Amino acid sequence: MLIGIDVGGTTTDAVVVDGRKVVKTAYVPTDHDNLLKCLLLALDELVQGIDTGKIERVVLSTTLITNMIAEGKTDPVALVLIPGPGTNPRDYALGESIILDGAIDFRGKEIDRLKESQIKEAGASIRAQGLSRVAVVGKFCQRNHAHELKVYEILAAALPGAKIEMGHKVSGQLNFPRRAATTMLTAATIDSYERFAKDVARALKERKISAPVYILKADGGTLPLDKSVQMPVETIFSGPAASIMGVLALTEPGESSVVVDIGGTTTDLALILSGKPLLSAKGARVGSLLTQVRAFAVKSVAIGGDSAVAVSSQGCDPGSESSAPGTRSCCGSLVVGPHRDGSPLCMGGYGPTPTDALRVLGLTQIGDAALAEKAMQIVAQSLGCTVMQAAQKVVDAVVDKIVFEINEMFREWEQEPAYRIWEILKKEKLSARSVVGVGGGAPPLVPLVAARLGAAAIVPEYAPVANAIGAAVARPTLTLNLHIDTEKGEFSVAEDGLMGRVTDQKMTPEDAERLARRLLAERAALLGIGEYAGEAEVTYSEVFNMIRGWSTVGRLMDVRMEIPAGLLPSWRRC
Amino acid sequence: MSSQGKSGKTGLIFFPAFDWAISPTHPEREERLLYTRDQIFEEGLMDLPQIEEYKPRLAEEKDVARAHFCVPDVGSQVTEAHLIAAGSTLTLADALEKGEIRNGFALVRPPGHHSMRVVHGNRGFCNINNMAILVEYLRTKYGHKRIAVIDTDVHHGDGTQDIFWHDPDVLCLSFHQDGHTLYPGSGFVNEMGGPQALARTLNVPLPPGTTDEGIHYVLDNLILPILDEFKPDLILNSAGQDNHYTDPLANMRFSANGYARLNEKLAPDLCVLEGGYAVETALPYVNTGIIQAMAGLDYSHVKEPDYVPGRFVQTEGMVREIEHTVAQVQKIWDQRDELTKDALEGLGDFYRRKRRVFYDTDMINENQEEVVRLCPDCAGYMTINTSAQRGYGILNSAFCVSIPRKACSSCRDDAKEEYAEHVDDKRIGYVLMQDKDKDKFKFYNNMTRTERGY
Repeated sequence: MLIGIDVGGTTTDAVVVDGRKVVKTAYVPTDHDNLLKCLLLALDELVQGIDTGKIERVVLSTTLITNMIAEGKTDPVALVLIPGPGTNPRDYALGESIILDGAIDFRGKEIDRLKESQIKEAGASIRAQGLSRVAVVGKFCQRNHAHELKVYEILAAALPGAKIEMGHKVSGQLNFPRRAATTMLTAATIDSYERFAKDVARALKERKISAPVYILKADGGTLPLDKSVQMPVETIFSGPAASIMGVLALTEPGESSVVVDIGGTTTDLALILSGKPLLSAKGARVGSLLTQVRAFAVKSVAIGGDSAVAVSSQGCDPGSESSAPGTRSCCGSLVVGPHRDGSPLCMGGYGPTPTDALRVLGLTQIGDAALAEKAMQIVAQSLGCTVMQAAQKVVDAVVDKIVFEINEMFREWEQEPAYRIWEILKKEKLSARSVVGVGGGAPPLVPLVAARLGAAAIVPEYAPVANAIGAAVARPTLTLNLHIDTEKGEFSVAEDGLMGRVTDQKMTPEDAERLARRLLAERAALLGIGEYAGEAEVTYSEVFNMIRGWSTVGRLMDVRMEIPAGLLPSWRRC
Repeated sequence: MSSQGKSGKTGLIFFPAFDWAISPTHPEREERLLYTRDQIFEEGLMDLPQIEEYKPRLAEEKDVARAHFCVPDVGSQVTEAHLIAAGSTLTLADALEKGEIRNGFALVRPPGHHSMRVVHGNRGFCNINNMAILVEYLRTKYGHKRIAVIDTDVHHGDGTQDIFWHDPDVLCLSFHQDGHTLYPGSGFVNEMGGPQALARTLNVPLPPGTTDEGIHYVLDNLILPILDEFKPDLILNSAGQDNHYTDPLANMRFSANGYARLNEKLAPDLCVLEGGYAVETALPYVNTGIIQAMAGLDYSHVKEPDYVPGRFVQTEGMVREIEHTVAQVQKIWDQRDELTKDALEGLGDFYRRKRRVFYDTDMINENQEEVVRLCPDCAGYMTINTSAQRGYGILNSAFCVSIPRKACSSCRDDAKEEYAEHVDDKRIGYVLMQDKDKDKFKFYNNMTRTERGY
């Protein structure tokens, strides 16, 4: 039996899965001030009458880190940058930072030395500010760790007890400002996350649940809880990831679909292309910061069942209509969202909402019919139309907006830059074959959205707990980016900063892939997910001959190998 | 300049053609923009709010035919990589015209500025001229009249010069290392355009070893004042990066900071990458600097590892030579109206020039005779009789006819007659028609007696 628990924005959903069967579900309201408590409440309710000895795995998705960042409750961090030549670091929106001399270039060569006295001064100033968490990030440090290590050493001596995170340990993908942001967020959340992980482990022990506990990451993969403390930021946005994995579990394999998660005030949109959830190209945006966290590309649209419906008293304003239909449709006077005034009127709220409109049209049975009618009367009066017409207009506005944003997502995907001829030639135009709805607002609206897109509407049987199912049956993911420079005789792994020697000057791409596979297996074992290493596939590979003076002096090779987001074999088998 | 005062983003297309090379060890190979990719990606430039990255598209064959006579046709002379490099410039042109961006940089390869009007093969690493294709597109699609092309590559932009030789509305100004000392061996002060467009082609040959100081002297004292007077709708930069002090194929002493400052002052609407072959020591820094300058970002932190300000100093003799050249070119520009008048007086109804063109990359020798009608009512139609031989291979020959925009009816009729006269003439392989006025293009094969067009 597998347990999945998704601590969501409003409710915490939990599910027990056995093979392909959903054995039991539980829901409790989420208490943002005590995530652990509501997680355990849901768990306790779930396992009542269930033999805890038969639980094979528990997977959690949590909003802990997302909330900490959104509410500004992260720990203060001193950011130390070694930017070298290039962009003025002040042009990056990274906030306060200490800038050190020293530089490494794209080949990993030192082009400017560190100044020891300057690093010591930095240590003194961090101590003077009373900061005990530090992020040290150098440009191209993933190609040569020496500078980050040296700074770490000096700062560790100057700041006893301080926690110091280094960029090359956090991510090795090219993008210095994103790496700096990700490292900073890691330092800012690592302590709280560690406490949370320990509390969860203890609570499960108290409940005699000895099954391994995993956390769901933003890329839809699971990671053992005790290993995840090294990378707390990876757990942001695990809620949307859980929903998408749930849709993957509840639909046909290999399908291309749009995932539409319609909630009270927001609708989350995601794409699954040929059975693979689309990842955001360079990493997730967390608040105002761009990071290198691998995450599904999720677009949040400020519209949902509880969105406030208003009719602006001003006349038509055709000028403002072009970019975003829905927010301003119906001759520019009907406005749906983005804010929420309260519950739908039909459910005891104060003003008209899309839910009232759906009730009036008979597309949903929730809430009071008479109150819904009253709500639409308000709209009808302002628009000068009948109640039914008003309800239809409100629903149309919501559907317009969602359809517009879905088309935008496809357009953005098509417009993603490409750097090779074959990439530009092969990219076909894609459209959704199905629209899959999850979340409370999905059942009445998804068929309308699908009809507009010419796609099939799917609202799976377990749609309300799709997120918890997704958590329960998601398999681990792992990515390894290997960079080899045969002229220097070196390789480096982007994800954990591992470096080593290569001796074969004439290394082939096949050799490089073999090395990548071995390193991935080692890393998987370290992270406690070794049994999945065999599922890894090469997703990217490039080879460049380095020519100097008309002869080949070496090769630069990059291999990306990954265990992509997927479902556990026990779920797939059935 | 035209882009100053505009708000908005800088559009960027990065197309390194990581799967295309002239040959494995050629300077124009896969690796050329690899370290530039590493640098600009590591800088996170594409994430900055001042920059918008665009996806390249393929140019259509018609876009190429607007600028070139490809013999026997466009498809035989280009690969997909060429169409993507050219298409990238058109994507940025569209974004600029739609107001999505205030300026743009097509950081693309393969380059184009040595490709001339007639194309039999690859010259100076170039098959088709991205810049010329961009100019013709901007004029046809968006109706721009006056365009200035400033060629900042170390080599003379002889292809662009050839294509706009007779066009008074396109100012082609190239500064470069003196042709006595560098490929393609042209670009002297006395090359100043056809009789109807004298001084709309300007060349500024510079002594080997010219530094930032020298090039900025040319910019401040010649290029910027001329642009002020020419008042182009758009300024385009053929942005070669081989004036750099580490370039292996040339001998100048320009720095990344000098390049960035040049683009800040020139404020081009669109920049198109040309050459530059110091793949590790120059390109990552120069490209970063150019992008930053165009986006209005601080570029003062861009510095080559071994560069110190004041590292290169021009000799007194070089300074004087540059000043002298600038004065000469300035004089030509100032006398442009008289020069044109005098030139036209001495000529009859037609202007002819015969030339030989050598295609170094493909070892092709071409013989051309170009005839332009000096028409009082329009720019005059043009014919080119060309034959070219690769080694001891086939002698490819073509008769090309070009009808200018806003052609008068007499020129149009005569041009059509010229085309008809050469169709089925077995002494010539192909007959090509470029109707810029109607944006229609025809290719006739005299051997198979078939015509195609777009």
